[in-house]
Amino acid sequence: MEPMTEATPVVEMWNIKKNFAAVQALRGVDLVLHHGEVLGLVGDNAAGKSTLMKVLSGAYIPDGGEILIEGKKAHMTDPLDARRLGIEMVYQDLAIANNLDVTSNVFLGREAVSTQLGIFGVLNNRQMEQEAQRLLDRLKIDIPSVRLLVERLSGGQRQAVAIARTMAFNSKVIIMDEPTAALSVAAISKVLDLVRELKAQGASIIIISHRLEDIYSVSDRLMVMRNGRKVRDSLVAGDIDDFRERVVAYMIGARDDFAREADAVAG
Amino acid sequence: MSFKDVLKTQQHNIRDYGMYIAFVAIVVFFAITTKGLFVSSRNIGNLVNAMSYIAVLAVGMTLVIVIRHIDLSVGYLAGFLGAIAAISLKYWHLPLFATILLVLAIGILAGLFTAFLVAQMKIPAFVATLAGWLGYRGALQLATRSTGTIVISDTTFNALGNGFIPDFPDIGILPGIHKVTLLLGLLAIILFIVGEINNRKKTQAYHFEVLSMNMFILKLVFLSAILACITWVLAGYQGLSWAAVILVIVVLIYYYITTKTIIGRHIYAVGGNPEAAELNGISVKKITFFVFGSMGLLTALSGILYASWLRSATTIAGAGMEFDAIAAAFVGGVAVAGGVGKVTGSILGALVMASLTNGMNLLGWDISIQYIVRALVLAGAVIFDVQTRRGAK
Repeated sequence: MEPMTEATPVVEMWNIKKNFAAVQALRGVDLVLHHGEVLGLVGDNAAGKSTLMKVLSGAYIPDGGEILIEGKKAHMTDPLDARRLGIEMVYQDLAIANNLDVTSNVFLGREAVSTQLGIFGVLNNRQMEQEAQRLLDRLKIDIPSVRLLVERLSGGQRQAVAIARTMAFNSKVIIMDEPTAALSVAAISKVLDLVRELKAQGASIIIISHRLEDIYSVSDRLMVMRNGRKVRDSLVAGDIDDFRERVVAYMIGARDDFAREADAVAG
Repeated sequence: MSFKDVLKTQQHNIRDYGMYIAFVAIVVFFAITTKGLFVSSRNIGNLVNAMSYIAVLAVGMTLVIVIRHIDLSVGYLAGFLGAIAAISLKYWHLPLFATILLVLAIGILAGLFTAFLVAQMKIPAFVATLAGWLGYRGALQLATRSTGTIVISDTTFNALGNGFIPDFPDIGILPGIHKVTLLLGLLAIILFIVGEINNRKKTQAYHFEVLSMNMFILKLVFLSAILACITWVLAGYQGLSWAAVILVIVVLIYYYITTKTIIGRHIYAVGGNPEAAELNGISVKKITFFVFGSMGLLTALSGILYASWLRSATTIAGAGMEFDAIAAAFVGGVAVAGGVGKVTGSILGALVMASLTNGMNLLGWDISIQYIVRALVLAGAVIFDVQTRRGAK
């Protein structure tokens, strides 16, 4: 069901604009994400979905518009700002160091120390290992040991580590960019289970995917983008075939719920 | 955990074990073929002094290669800095203490300059340090042009590369044995055993798996025995040399930094995936400056040790040292692609290469054969490395 409208959404993005030279990548996009909601974000290549998410995760600074996190105006100039506000991104190319073990990756850039000495701070490896193990257990992720090097894991396990990492620090919003791309069928279903598990534990999630069946199976709401604009925002309902047909119609431009607003802005 | 999983977690150790076994095999081979001369106290003492300046470079080079760079300039930079040390002592009449500080500071600056070229100007490290190789070679020749080889007369300075730590006055017990060395060795063994037991206890307290009791005891006994052997052999000549003491301190510090600290973790993260490191708030630029700065510091130390060992600064000091250091790192298991490699591995690599040279010299092998043997060992070690790593996937 539609979450209560009077509750403050965890993320509000209003009229976000972003240009790259002469290209208008985002032409005034609105996005709302409620607490405990999974929002699917789809669109053809160059529709602007990754750009929008990079704005939300602090990697890009928007040219216009405003972002509110839990009702408070947010100014983010780099990914660390976003992270401090509880926004975590799982990148498509995973942003994981294969030469390090699972624990090191979970805590990368946020290591627990037993002695504060700046960059020479002494790592508290045992505490980190224990917390990493607890995290994997909590999310029901099946990896034999947190001491395994990530290069020894399967693609699905790596994706699980990348996702689990976002949950290690009480994040409010998790953005996943194509979390099921390049995975086996079995691994995809595990990753989707993980998304459901995160949601069950209260995370608010935005998931970008080309695989409409994945979006259909885990999302509460769907947002379609095309040419830097939002063209559809609705609850996920109906059977999968109808869903797919409708979404594709929006993706290719055959339908557009916000055409009049766009014209008004353009006019 | 299934047996297969245990194997998986142990896989990266197999390479290390292979290296230790190869080293032991080399030592045994030379011990037999030289009729014990190779493992004589005097020879081991000389070997350690002769390898120390390469080993110090190899430690720094390990980190440089881990972050996917290379440093070709360290040989002539070490030679140049050795010349600066000699000039400072002989012509500027600076006290030893000030000379060493000055040389170390110039070393750090030189390293930071390399980092500036690499991280800020985005020049590939190979090219930047090739320029350094040429530049420092010229600087060395310039510094020694008017004087030629500068003989260093400061005995304290020369003791760094040749001298031995003092001993108790002879009190009748254990004549001919260096007692301070023996005591230090004993202390090292005790610290090692206590540390391992503590570590095991703490790990168990966190409910993580540890080696089985039998394996644990076997490991303690084996490594303690090796430490005891080394101590006994060194104590049989003039004891621990200052160069060995300096090398041990450098290794301990770098072992600590690379395995226990945040910066160490971040260095390996940058080597494994620079983009990921950056996305996680690790500044690749800062890490690059740190690593090349440390390389510069160690190059200065190496230059001091080398000049001290020769008791002079020569016009060609440092030639080829960069390649010995790089070879030591690769033999020691540092991966060319970056992200992988231990300081202790590189030290072992330096030890393997130095043992080969020393052993073959004792046997009177032709120098050309020596080069070919070392080439085969280098290639063989890296092939072994690549194969075990690939097999692990």
